[in-house]
Amino acid sequence: MINKKTCAAALVAFTFSMPAVAEEPMNDLEIAHTAYTAGQIDIRYAHLALALSQNEDVRAFAATMVRDHTAVNDAAGALITELNVTPQDNALSQALVKGAGEKVEELTGLRGKAFDCAYATNELGYHQVVNQTVEGKFIPNTTVEPLKDLLTDALATFKQHEKHAENMVSGLKCS
Amino acid sequence: MLVKRTYTRRQAGALLGAGFAALFLSGAPRAGEAPRTHKIDIRKFKFAPAALIIKAGDSVEWTNHDIAPHTATDEEGDWDTGTLSRSQSATLTFKTPGTYSYFCAFHPQMTATLTVEA
Repeated sequence: MINKKTCAAALVAFTFSMPAVAEEPMNDLEIAHTAYTAGQIDIRYAHLALALSQNEDVRAFAATMVRDHTAVNDAAGALITELNVTPQDNALSQALVKGAGEKVEELTGLRGKAFDCAYATNELGYHQVVNQTVEGKFIPNTTVEPLKDLLTDALATFKQHEKHAENMVSGLKCS
Repeated sequence: MLVKRTYTRRQAGALLGAGFAALFLSGAPRAGEAPRTHKIDIRKFKFAPAALIIKAGDSVEWTNHDIAPHTATDEEGDWDTGTLSRSQSATLTFKTPGTYSYFCAFHPQMTATLTVEA
């Protein structure tokens, strides 16, 4: 069973801060909510990059994030409709949203290479942590087969994003 | 689709090689054969098969099985399937011999080659 505190701690490890959450297992509807929320957050970051970055590679990556995460979340929406269920908000989703708000605020104050590097580094870390969580926690603990299949397909996409982000960070020569 | 392109020396050499190979290695002559449609699957961010050899006049159908949208886009910009959402297909017909390197415009790490023989 998934452990909220472990997941949240992992997700927070990169840049987020969140309140302590109770150690309770996440159910399928909570997993669905958090996976969807994580996608929406990355779309939000991408729109910010498209608004602020002049770098062609960063903009191309951001456009891909909008396109791919929208496709994944559309598929999730279709599944939710088909199953006639309502995803459940939960402490991890709320922590992600809070952390993303803070990150957006930080990124909004940056320009040029400082923005590009901060965005690219965040994307790499975000995808690393989300992928670990989806692969190690969400998929093994999901009991509804179509949701498990969707998460598995989505993970294949997110792993490509992680590689792409790695290349972007390397290409920007940020360090 | 009728594609005009110029060939690099390497491509021309490969084409000549392929032509000779076809001349000496293939069985029945092409004349009179009906054009075929070859299928390429896009799955888990890969084109399969990643290398395909077809005859001029044949068609290729790409089908995307991933959630993420993909394209099959010629590196030199001569042809493009356009965006393929999940379960969507696009078919292009190739009349001009050549070796075409192509990629997904959204995920450039996805690459493959298509060889069109005379």
